This record gives sequence, C-alpha cells and structure tokens, in this order.
Amino acid sequence: MIKVINLGKVYQAGTQQVVALADVNLSIRPGEFVAVMGPSGSGKSTLMNLLGCLDTLTSGSYQLDGMEVSGMSDTEQAQVRNLKIGFVFQAFNLLPRMTAMRNVELPMIYAGIAPRERARRAVQALERVGLKERMSHRPSELSGGQIQRVSIARALVNNPAVILADEPTGNLDTRSGEEIMAIFQELNRGGATIVLVTHEREIGLHTARIVYFRDGRLVDDENVSAPLDARELLNANMPAGQSPGIIESGEECG
Amino acid sequence: MNLLESVRVALEGIMTSKLRSFLTTLGIVIGIAAVIAVVAIGQGGRAVLMSEMEKMVTNIFAIFVDWRSDKQVTGREFDLSDVAAIKDKVPEVTHLSPVNQIMSDIRGPKDQKLAQVIGVSSDYSYIRKFNMKEGHFFTEEDDAGERRVAVLDEELAVQVFGRASALANKITIANTPFLVVGVVAKGESALGFSENPRLYIPISTWQVMFNSQVQELEGSTSAKENVNEAMGQAVKLLERRHQTPGKYTSVSMEQEMQAANKITGIMTLVIGAIAGISLFVGGIGVMNIMLVSVTERTREIGIRMALGATRRDILVQFLIESIMLCLLGGIIGMALGAGGAYLIAKLAKWPPLVSWWTALLAFAFSGAIGVIFGLLPANKAARLNPIEALRRE
Ligand SMILES: Nc1ncnc2c1ncn2[C@@H]1O[C@H](COP(=O)(O)OP(=O)(O)OP(=O)(O)O)[C@@H](O)[C@H]1O
Ligand SMILES: [Mg+2]
Repeated sequence: MIKVINLGKVYQAGTQQVVALADVNLSIRPGEFVAVMGPSGSGKSTLMNLLGCLDTLTSGSYQLDGMEVSGMSDTEQAQVRNLKIGFVFQAFNLLPRMTAMRNVELPMIYAGIAPRERARRAVQALERVGLKERMSHRPSELSGGQIQRVSIARALVNNPAVILADEPTGNLDTRSGEEIMAIFQELNRGGATIVLVTHEREIGLHTARIVYFRDGRLVDDENVSAPLDARELLNANMPAGQSPGIIESGEECG
Repeated sequence: MNLLESVRVALEGIMTSKLRSFLTTLGIVIGIAAVIAVVAIGQGGRAVLMSEMEKMVTNIFAIFVDWRSDKQVTGREFDLSDVAAIKDKVPEVTHLSPVNQIMSDIRGPKDQKLAQVIGVSSDYSYIRKFNMKEGHFFTEEDDAGERRVAVLDEELAVQVFGRASALANKITIANTPFLVVGVVAKGESALGFSENPRLYIPISTWQVMFNSQVQELEGSTSAKENVNEAMGQAVKLLERRHQTPGKYTSVSMEQEMQAANKITGIMTLVIGAIAGISLFVGGIGVMNIMLVSVTERTREIGIRMALGATRRDILVQFLIESIMLCLLGGIIGMALGAGGAYLIAKLAKWPPLVSWWTALLAFAFSGAIGVIFGLLPANKAARLNPIEALRRE
C-alpha cells in the first residue's frame, strides 16, 4: 500500500537548511494500523504531509497503491489526495459555516460525485461514526469529540487507500480520544489502512505497529503483540458520565 | 468539479457574510446605477430634444454672407431681385424672404422697449409657419406699398401694450408710427431658448427706414429632404448673379439638428465615461476586498486543497464568487439606475429610456469586471501552499 524508500525532506528556512526527514524506509501493507511516535520536531508531521501528497519530497521515492507519487503534477497530487487519502487533523479542520453533512460531502464534490449519491454516502459515513442525527449541525454546535468524528466521516467517505491522522486525539479529553480510537479500530477491522501520529503511548498501543522517529530518522519499528481494545476500555473503565476529567471541549475548528 | 457545483460553492462563500458581500459590491452597484441612469437620462433628453426639433420647422434654410471669407463685404451681396430669381430658377424653393434685422426703439401705449425690428416679405410667415394670435401677417400688397404695418410677437405685444389689445393700434418704431396688424403666438420652445422681443415689418418699409441692403435670405422647401439641394442651388445662383464665388454660406435646420444631436451624444459619452471610471473604481474595490477575503480564508483554502480541490477548482471558486458578486451588484445597480432614471424622467417630463441593450451591456460589463478584478485574488488563492494554508489561524 505504502512503500517509502530512502525518503528525505529538507526545508529551506532562509539561508538555513533543516533536515526534517532523512533515509526513511517504510512499508505499510493494506489493512495495517500503524502509529507514528517520537519527540516533538522529529519529523512525524513532515512524514504525514509527504504521505498525504500535501508536500513534495526532496529525495527518495514514495509509492502509494502501486503508483510513484514523487514527480506528480499539482493536479495529479490533488486527485491522489481526493481519492486515495483521507485526512484527520489535530485541529479538526472542518469548514465552520457548513453543516456536518456538507462538510462530509466536500471530498465527493471534488470527486465529481452526483448530489444524490453524495448525500447517500455522506449519511452512511456519518452513521458509521454515530452522528447521523447531527448531520445538519454546524461545528460550533458540536463537541470536540463529535467534530473529530465528523472529520473521520469526511476522511473515509471517498473510500481512500489510507487514512492519515496527525494527532487526532491531541485536542480531545481521554474519553473522546478513546471513542475516536474505537472508531479507527472498527474501520481497521473493516479493512481500512490507517497511519496515526500520536504523542501518547497509550494511544499508540491501540494499533498493531508503532514506528519511532528521532531527528528525522526512523529509529524503531515495534509490533504491538496485544493491542488495546478501545470499545472494551470504554465499556469497562469509563462508563458514560462517570469518567473523570471529561471536559466537553467546545472548541471549534476553523 | 462541474460548473454548477462551483457556482454553489461560490454562493455559499457569498452568503456566509451577506453584509460584507453587499458592501464589497457597493462600488459596482453605484457604478452600474450611474451608467444606467446617465445613459437613460441622456437618451431620454435626446429623444425630447429631437421630438421638439421635429415639431419645429425642419424644411427651412438660411443663406448669408460668409464672414470668414477673405472677400470684401460690400453690403450689396443680396438684393431683392435675387429673391425672385431664386424662386424662379430653383423649383424646390417654395418660399423665400429677405431678412433684415436691426435693434430699435419701440414705443407703445404702456411702455417702450428695445426690440429686434425684422424686415421680411410676406413669405416669411409661411416659412416660419407662424401661428397668429391676433390679426394676420402683413400681405404682399403691404410690402409693395411700403406700408407702415407691423406684426409683433406675443411677448413684445404684452410689453408695450400691457393688457390692452395691440391689434389695430399704433406703435412707433424709431419715432415712426406703425399700425399693428397682427400678433404672432408664442411658439412652444421646450429648449428654453428665449429670443429677444421682436416685430416684423415689410422689407420695403424696412429699407426705406434704415438702409437699402438685404442682410440675408431665408427660405423653405416642399420637404426637408430637398433642403440641402435647394440651398446649394440657390447659393450657386447667387454666386453667378453677383460674380462672387465663395462669398455665401448657408445653413439648414436639418444641419443644426444634426449638430445638436452630436452635442447631446458627446455629453452622454462624457458623463458615461465618468460613470465608467466609477465602475472601474468599484472593480478595484471588489478586488481589494476579495484579496482580504482570500487572506482570511486561507485556512479554508488549505482544507479544500487537502480534501482534493485542484488549484483550478480554487481559482474557479474565487473567480465565480467575484463574478457573481459583480453581477449581483450589477443587477441591484440596474434596478437603482432604472428607478433613478424613471424618477428624473418623470420630474423632467421626459420619456424614461432604459433600453434592453444598455441593460444587457451593463450586465455583461459587470460580469467582465468580476472576471478582470477577480483574477488576481483567485490566482492568489490558487497558488497557496496547502500545508502553509492549513497551518494558518
Ligand atoms: N515549513 C518548514 N520550514 C522549515 N522547517 C520546518 C518546516 N516544517 C517543519 N520544519 C522542521 O522540520 C522538523 C520536523 O517538523 P515536524 O513538524 O515534522 O515535527 P513533528 O514530529 O510533527 O513535531 P510535533 O510532535 O511537535 O508535531 C522540525 O525541526 C521543524 O522545525
Ligand atoms: Mg506534528
């Protein structure tokens, strides 16, 4: 699914060159659930941007779904982002003045899908994240956890080859984060390939594989023998309403 | 993404901040309103002018000495025999009269006035198609007999007679007594040209009283179509008779109308150009706000790009937004301008003239402004780097 060979990324910041990634070799098979961890500034977001075709690599090669991505034109990259990749951001990045439904429809609009089909699939995607009833709400009327679930619905609506999530639980409280992980695990069980950046080992342990970055290099690749099951944890440890430290974060995306 | 979706996305952009959208396009509203109003009023005014001129006698012409010619002016350029000769040789000329003018002192029972004393033949009332308020115009016999008879215009009659009837009463012209035989009704002059108070006396009498010259000729033809032909022939005949080529010049009402038409056309053009400049300024206003809007919506653009919008999609979105804003402004402006033109036309009693082509042109023009002034902001939006755009607050 994802094949990265000798990947390097150098930023030109004024006269200075910043090596954000160097010699990264990474293969991710279809259906894998991978966590990317590492200290701040280690290049995790840079990797996600490259994998997501938001940025162009400086050296090496990147194949997505059997296609060489480096050297693609802007338009081709946009098409790859549209059809092969689903983004979930730490800052949510929903369009604030649009309803959940309309937000989920956006990737399909750019894919040229007809309105009726679009609506059907948007409702279906919102149903999968348990927010069908909230489809006509705007982000300002939703909690942080709900907003992130809408953005997951948006990420999966075009059936992407891979879902890329950069610290999706970073702005959420523990319970909402756990709910997000539960959704990811369900999607993964349904066959979705997911790459997720996190700072919390607890979150990372929900995946099957953790890759560690330090100073732009991939330093460790660990298989998680017995991943935590988010749904189970939610049911056992944190029955709704009792969990401590739940702050209904009303943050808007924007 | 197809055009319909682009339009919908652009509409969403416009509708999310209605007040700002309206203020953005206000310049276009004012510009288009100004253009529509100016053109409508200009055309209305012109139509009024033309219809007034149509009402006036259009088949008349005048021949006079060309002051610009380098030939010596002798005062003998015309004489009374020319009139008969022209009428004889130029069949198109139906009426022809010598016209002499002099300012003189007029005394009536009520008051005295300086007025234009005009010596003409009896043909003159046919040329000018005078409408008599009282009495009649003097006759050929009056002229032949050098009689001291006068025809006053209404204004002068009121000035020197007051409420008393002027008809069959006496006035003096330069201390010579005259009998008033008629009063000419005031002509409808919507153009508002006020002429000096005037009175008409037989040319023969005029020549006895003042001097024996003939100053100019005025004539009419059977139809306005042959005025220029008749005029030209008359001038040629005069030149032959007096052996003075190049000394005469002539003008027809038709030519004067064309000149007036041209002037109102130029005025409309000038005011239209000013309105056009205001439209241009309006366009710059739209561009300015659109540029700000692109900066403010950088994050949105980044999100759209991350979700698969191509640069072209973004460009089209902002371009359509700009075009729709301008078209909206154009429509509102058109309504306002037409309303204003209608109001002014009503006050000025002109026909309101908002022609379909002005409306169409204004619509197309505001659309074009949308394209021209939307290109820069749209291009700026499309060139954004998605990662940087996403990072923006
Ligand atoms: N646009 C840029 N220009 C210059 N340097 C950059 C740019 N983006 C990132 N960097 C640098 O590249 C390195 C990796 O940054 P990156 O954002 O990938 O880190 P990260 O692992 O995501 O950190 P965090 O956990 O804090 O999000 C850092 O040193 C950063 O300063
Ligand atoms: Mg990061």
